[in-house]
Formats: sequence, structure tokens, C-alpha cells
Amino acid sequence: MIKANAVTKVVDTSEGSLQILRPISFEVKSGESVAIIGASGSGKSTLLGLLAGLDQVTEGEIFLDNEALHSMNEEERAILRGNKVGFIFQSFMLVQSLTALENVMLPAEIAGLDNPKALALDILEQVGLKHRAHHFPNQLSGGEQQRVAIARAFITLPKILFADEPTGNLDAKNSEKIEALLFEMNREKGTTLILVTHDNELAEHCDRQLTMNAGELVETTGANTINRKEAV
Amino acid sequence: MSTSFNLGWRLFKHEARRGELTIILLAIVLSVAAVLSLSLFSERLQGALKSRSAAFIAADAQLRSDDPINEEWLTRAQEQGLATAKQVATRSMVFKGDEMSLVDLRAVNSAYPLKGTVNITDQPFGEKRATAELPQPGEAWVQSRLFQSLGLTIGDDIEIGDGNFTVTHVLVDIPDAGFSVFNTDPIALINLDDLDKTAITGPGSRARYVGFFAGDSGDIESFNTWLLPQLNDDLHSWRTVEDDESAIGRSVASAERYFLLASLLAIVLAAVSIAVAAQRYAQRHFDPVAIMKTLGATSNTIRKVYLFQILFITGLGIFIGLVVGFIGQQVVVSLVADRVDVSLDVWHWRPLLIAVATGATCALLFSLYPLLQLFSVPPLRVLRKDISANLRSRTIQFVASGGAIFLLMWMYSRDLKISAILFVSGAALVLGLLGATYILIAIGRKLGSGRMGPWQLAWARIKRRAMDNSVQLISFSVTIMLLLVVLVMRNDMVSQWRSQLPEGTPNYFLINITPDIRPELDRHFSDNGVSIEEFYPVIRGRFVSVNGEGVNTEVSKEDEPNRDGRRGLGREANLTWGNSLQKENEIIDGSWHGYEDKQYNEGWFPVSVEEGVAERLNIEMGDRLTFNVGSEIVETKVTSIRTVNWQTMQPNFFFVIHPDAMAAFSPTYITSFYLPTDRKAELTNLLKPFSSITMFDVDARINQLREIVDQVSVAVEFILVLVLMAGSLVLIAQVQASMDERKQEIAILRTLGAKGGLIRKSVIFEFVIIGVVAGFMAAMANELSLYLLQTTVFQMEASLHPEYWAIAPSVGAIVVGILGAFGCYRLLTLNTGQMLRNMV
Repeated sequence: MIKANAVTKVVDTSEGSLQILRPISFEVKSGESVAIIGASGSGKSTLLGLLAGLDQVTEGEIFLDNEALHSMNEEERAILRGNKVGFIFQSFMLVQSLTALENVMLPAEIAGLDNPKALALDILEQVGLKHRAHHFPNQLSGGEQQRVAIARAFITLPKILFADEPTGNLDAKNSEKIEALLFEMNREKGTTLILVTHDNELAEHCDRQLTMNAGELVETTGANTINRKEAV
Repeated sequence: MSTSFNLGWRLFKHEARRGELTIILLAIVLSVAAVLSLSLFSERLQGALKSRSAAFIAADAQLRSDDPINEEWLTRAQEQGLATAKQVATRSMVFKGDEMSLVDLRAVNSAYPLKGTVNITDQPFGEKRATAELPQPGEAWVQSRLFQSLGLTIGDDIEIGDGNFTVTHVLVDIPDAGFSVFNTDPIALINLDDLDKTAITGPGSRARYVGFFAGDSGDIESFNTWLLPQLNDDLHSWRTVEDDESAIGRSVASAERYFLLASLLAIVLAAVSIAVAAQRYAQRHFDPVAIMKTLGATSNTIRKVYLFQILFITGLGIFIGLVVGFIGQQVVVSLVADRVDVSLDVWHWRPLLIAVATGATCALLFSLYPLLQLFSVPPLRVLRKDISANLRSRTIQFVASGGAIFLLMWMYSRDLKISAILFVSGAALVLGLLGATYILIAIGRKLGSGRMGPWQLAWARIKRRAMDNSVQLISFSVTIMLLLVVLVMRNDMVSQWRSQLPEGTPNYFLINITPDIRPELDRHFSDNGVSIEEFYPVIRGRFVSVNGEGVNTEVSKEDEPNRDGRRGLGREANLTWGNSLQKENEIIDGSWHGYEDKQYNEGWFPVSVEEGVAERLNIEMGDRLTFNVGSEIVETKVTSIRTVNWQTMQPNFFFVIHPDAMAAFSPTYITSFYLPTDRKAELTNLLKPFSSITMFDVDARINQLREIVDQVSVAVEFILVLVLMAGSLVLIAQVQASMDERKQEIAILRTLGAKGGLIRKSVIFEFVIIGVVAGFMAAMANELSLYLLQTTVFQMEASLHPEYWAIAPSVGAIVVGILGAFGCYRLLTLNTGQMLRNMV
């Protein structure tokens, strides 16, 4: 489903070029759940951004569902994201001036799906928030906002779901709930999950863990381990 | 399309309901309302002023001709929907038995006057009343002075040329009587059908044929366009209300320019507030755009969503603005109705179109750059909040904003000069402010270090948010400057108008005073408690040559044998002489001839020439001018050129000669005096002993002029208030917008335990610093703008206004500081937790 081949990322700063990612290679199979773990600043969010097509690689190749993400422009990547990718963020990233329902409808409308409202209500029911459909994000608790975000992520039945610290802003109780919901939905919809976290417990729920350190992929644990040499 | 439309509509609906669009909506509403109310009010006011001015030329436009006016032209005008009337004016002798007098004869047709009224009275110098009637064939209406000089009574017969007429009314005035102390003979009004029987307008006569036209200004303009190619400059002249060169005409014209200026400034104020609001609006949408892009929205979709949203906002803003503006000007009109004439026609299309165009242009062009910034927000912002717009170049912003302002100004004023002046001084202000901001920040860098008191915090914030602060400083300064320009311009203009006609301005002129009765007249008047102004000697002379080269002396073209000859005055000149320069006269070239100036031993005498006539007759310093006075020749040499203020109600002269040149002649004198209206009845007694003196009554003219000046001043004050309100709202919008940006910092400071007092003081100090600098910069820029406006647009004397150098920074500090305090108070009442959550 995802294939990263010697991916690097270099950014220009006022003090010269800074290499954020050293050549990284790995593969993720369809339906697999993979956690990218590592300390703050290790480059895991940068890697997520590249894999999801939010940013452009400096060198290397990324194939997402057999499509060459690295050679696409921003417009092509946007279309690809709309059709195949779902997102969940640490800070929920809901549009504050849209209701829960409208936030969930948003990707369905962008992708041009039929009857987005019915789809959204249906999925809101699945996350247990149908009764809060017409509330605005600031009228919802953090846990509720993240459930809305999960509903939004799954409405288009994406092939791949990227989650960036999905429980990072939540208390322990809410974290557990969200974690459970996320993996349940993931299983149910057969989605490939790429999850960035520094929560080892959350990472262990995934089929596999990729550990990042100073821009390098240093360790791969869990099932389906690929050749580590290739990753260095 | 429908997805973008739905999304745009949804965002608009919720944001409007939740009050998130208040500032940008308010800015658009403000721009539309200010422009509509100002231009509608000024249009209505101008309508009324124009119709008053129209009364002075008895029409909306006049065609004057030395030949009879082509009847086809009048027919054509009527076909184009214009009303027309005709008049033939000439000077002629009137006889009653052996007595005779020169009159200003006006023969009019039944449609005359198209504007204004003919006023009559029952007895000479009696109380006037308007009449809709005109002299019937065989009748003549003549002015009181003719009754006085010919000893007439109502019902007497008089002869004009070959015709006999019965005097049936005392004429007080006609609308287009004109105003001149000299060459003014009493008016005799007769029916145009009677003109032939007088046989005074044959070949060689000096008659002036006038066609009057009234109607919509558009119709007048299109008729003029049609007529213009057929006119002969030597014979014809076209005059409209706007060409009125009288004091009234000039006051109205400068008031119009002021309204225009005020409205232009209102547009700029509106534009500034929209720019501020649009920037804030765009910044608030960085996240939603990043989210939508992440979720797969293409740039095209994003563009459409926001275009729709901006269109919805603009549409709503324009609609509310029109309603508010219309109600606003109705309120103003009802408030001033008893003091100011306004046209009753409440609906004018031009202000409406201008208001809509202003709202739309400002909203769209000023949001262009913020929107482009918005569109460039990369999706990666969902992961990294520090990433904002990709658009770095501000060229497009400067081009779009500057272009929009200039375009609006030009479109609205249709006056490139006034627009360019405001635009250039505005641009200079912006550049100056940028420099000032950097200096301020450099100073602040030193002051800002040390223990964190409120001042240090304020400086630290100014320092850190250098770019934001410079933008804010610029907008504060521009707003304060525009308010200053409108305020100072109004003060200068109104005081200049009023100074033209101070209390006690002479309202009666006496002419034909012979030297022998002068002392007696002086004594008699002072015995009666009436003080007489200066006596000016006057003698008529014909201006015959320049440097020995003869000039044309006749006005009638038929009488001029040599049309190519040097241009003459066209009539006898009124020559005066004196040692001292008259009031309101100014030497612009050469030097004034004092009595001691005995340079005339070569046989010529110094003469001072009025600038306009010198230009018209191509007279230069050192030229030798020859006058023919009676049978004598007076040789003069131009030793000075003067400007004359024609707007003053005093006798003004083209030529003032050294007294020694005229010693041999016996002049008559002219003088003026002031008599309050309630003492008017004493006039007959005052003048009884002096039957040879002619009195000229300008009281009505002065009152009319004063009334118009008062009216225009009141209107100008209301416009000032409107612009002040608009400006204040802009300041509030700016402070509110900047408060939004401060939210985050205040939340952090609160979380860290900073006391409300510290935060409040630091924010107030920050605004006070910005207010002082903005006020000072505004005062400087104000001087520059005023200098340019006064010298080039308003034809006034430029003046410095040092008092505002102190007032503007103080007021800036106080107003901006108070606004900052209020904004800050609101933020401090917010729950810190809530603020922090919203920041995430």
C-alpha cells in the first residue's frame, strides 16, 4: 500500500541546509497498522507529512497505492488525498465555524460522494455523536472533538489513514476511548493505518513499530519486519 | 461548483451568525454607508445650491451672443427636452420729456426667467416682492434709481429709442442683473415683442443676445456638445452655473470640492478598514484552508469557496450599508432641514452606484492579497502550526491596494489632480511611517530591556511585532491624517468665506460724487451716524495704445476696422489714482508707486495694472500705456502688476495711476457705506440733499451671499461630523483586529500569573506609544496634504497649523489608548482556559 524508497528531506534555514530525514526506506502492506515512534524532533511528523502527500520529498520515491506520490504536484496530491487518504490530528483540526455534522461531511463533499449528509449522520452514529451533530467544535469536549475527527477520517472509506498523535491532547480516560474507537473502525473498514506517536502503549496496538531517531529509521519491530539494512 | 457554493454559503452563514464576520462586515457597511450618505447628502445639497446659483444666471446655462441667436438652436434645445427663454440686453437712453438717463435695457420673452424670480415693489425703494408676471407690450418696469433721476411716478410715459412705454411697476431686480459697481445703469425691463419698435438694435448697436436653457444637467451637456462646434468664439460664449465666477459661484465651487474631498477621504478610510479586516479574516482562515487542502480540496475548490464567501459578505455588507447610509443621510437632512436647503429629490442614482462600486471594489481588491495569501497556505500547516502563507511578495498587495484607492478616487472625483494629490501625500506618509517605525523600534530595543514592567512589556511587544505594528501605525496615522485634513480644511475654508463678508461689510455704494459735494456728504452722513468708507476718485478714460501701438477701442465687431489689431479693453476704463495700495490688493511684480515716486520726468506716470487685464491685453512691466481722458492724453508706464481679490465687496480697479498724472482733471468719487437693514428706511432722508448722486444697493446681494455661505458652512460641519464618525469606527475596527492578535499573548501571560493590571497597563502603554507616533506623523502628513490641496485645488493661501503638531499626538495617544484599554478589558474578562483552548 505504501512504499518509501530512500526518502530524504532537506530544508533551507537561515544557517544553511538542514537534513531532517536521512534516506529512509520501508514498505507497508494493505490493511497493516504501523506506528512511527520516536522522541520529539526525531522526524516522525515530517515523515508522516511526506507519506501523506502533505509535503514534497527532497529525494527518493514514495508510492501510495501504487501511485508515485513523489512525482505529483500539489494539485494531484490533493486529489489523491481526497480519494484515498484519511487524517486524524493531535489538535483535532476541525473547522471551527462548521458544525460537527458539516465537519464530517466536508471530505465526502470534496470527494464528490453522493448524499454526504446521510453518510455523515450514519458515521456520527457509529462514533456515538449523532446527538451532537449540530454542535460547533467549541461546544464539544476534547474527546468528542476527536471522535468527530475520526468520523470525518472514515467517511470517505479511505484506503490509508494517517494519525498524528491522536490521543496527545486527551486525558487518560478519553485516550483509551479514542484508541479503542480508532482501532475498531480501522479493523471494520479494513484501512491501512499509519500512526505517529510517542505513546509506546498506543504503538504496541499496531502490527508494527518503526522507530525514528535524529531523522533516521533506526529500528523496526513487530511482524513483517523488513530488511533493516535497507532502512538505514 | 455546487460543493464550493455550499461550502462557501455554509461558512458564511455560520460565521455571520457567530459574529466572526462582524469586523469585515462592519468595514464594508461603513464604507458603503459613509459614501452613500455623504454623496447623497452632498448631491442633495448641491442640487439646492445649484438651483440657487442657477437663479443668478436665470437658467442652468446661457448662450451669450453678439448676433441674434439662431432660432434653430433654440428649437433643437426644446426638442432635447430643455426649456428656453430669450433676452436682448443693450444700453440705451430713456427720455421723459427733457429729462434723460442711460438705462440697462432688457427685453425678454414670456418664458423668462427660467430660474430665479423677477422682483417688483409698489413704490421706489419699497419692500420687494416676487412676481410671475412680466411687462406686457407697451409696458416698462424700471428700477427705483430711474424714478429718482427722471422724477417718475407709476403710470408715466417714457421713450426708449423710437418706442413709447408706460411705466407700470417699480422693478427691484431681475435674476441675471449681474453685479458691478461701475457701468451699472438702472435696469428697464420690457417685452421682447416691443424691441423692434424701439429701433435700437440695428447694425452697429452693442446689443447682447442671450439664450437661456434649463433642464437636466445631462440634457444640457448633450445640447452643449451638439452646439459647441457651431459656435464662434468671437461671437458666442456659453456659461453654466459652474462657470459662475462670482463670490457665490466660487464659494459653491469650493464647497463642492470640499464635499468631494470629504467623500474621497471617507472612501480611503473605508478602504483602510476593509484592508485591516480582510487581513484578519484571511489569517483566521489559514487553518480551515489547510484542513480542506489536507482533505483533498484542490486549489480551484478553495478559490471558489472563498470567492463565494467574499461575495456573500460583500453583498450583505453592501445591502446593509445602503440601508444604513440612506437612513443616516435622511436623519442628517431632517436635523438640518430648517437651516439648510436640500433638494427634495431623495433618490439620486450616482451616489447609489458609487456606494455600491466602492463597497465592491474595496471588498474585492483589498481582500485580493489576503485571499492570495490564504490560497497559498500549504496543507502541511495541519502538522506544523508555524507554517503560514507561502506568498512572500507584497508587490501585488501594494499594486492592488494602491490601484484600488487611486481608481476609486479618480472614478469618484473625475478629477485627476485632487486624486493624485491625496494619493501622493498618502504614499509619502506610508513611506515616512515605515521609516519612523524602524526608528521607534530601534529606540524601543534599548528601552525594552531591563525589568519587565508595563512599559518594558509594551516596548517588547512593539519590538517583536515590528511588521504588524508598522501596518497598524500606518493605518492609525492615515486615519488621523484624513480626519485632520477634513477638519483643518473645513476651518480654513469657512473662516475664509466668512472673512469675505465680515459684519459691517458696506452694503450701499454711492457713485457720481462730485468734489464740491464730497465734504458735505461726509458731514451729513456722520451727523446721521453713518460712517463712510474711503472715497475713490474715478475718471473715465479710453485706453488707446501700448508702446505707441494702437489698440482696438470698440467692442462691437462691426465697428472694428482692423480685427487683427492689438486687443483693447472694449470699453472705457475707470481710472483711479492714489498713493496707497488698496486693501486686498497685492503687488506681484514691480513696486507700488508712492507719492514720493517722482520718476515721471520723462513725460510718463507710473501705473499699476491688475494681473488679469495685463494678461488678457498682453501688457508687461515697463510697457507704456496711453489713455485718452476727455481731450487730454495721459502717458503712463507700467511700474507694477497687482492681484485683486474680486470677491470682496469693494470697488476694484484695473488701472491705478500716480496722482500727479490726474491733477488736472476733475474726477467724481465713489464710496460705500454700511447701513443696517433695520435702518433702511433712513436711506431716502440720507440721500435727499444729494440728488446728483447715484446709490447702488448691494444689501440683497450680500445677504444672499451670506446666507449661502452660512448654509454651506452648516452642511460642511455635518459632513465633517460624518467623516469623524467614519474615522472613529475605523480606529475601533483596527484596535479590535489587533486585539485578536494579542489574545494568545495575553492568555500566556495570564497563565504565567501576570496580573490583570500589568497586562492592561502594558497594552494601554503600547497603544499610547503607537497613538503618539501616529498622531505626530499624521500632523506632518496633514501639513503636506493641506499645502498641496490649498494651493492647487482650493486656490486658497497655504497656512501652517503648528497647533495640530501638539494636538494630534495628544489626541492620538488619548483616543488610541482608550480604545486599547477597552479592547484589552474585554480580553481580560475572558476565561484563560477558554482562550488557551481556542489557541490550540
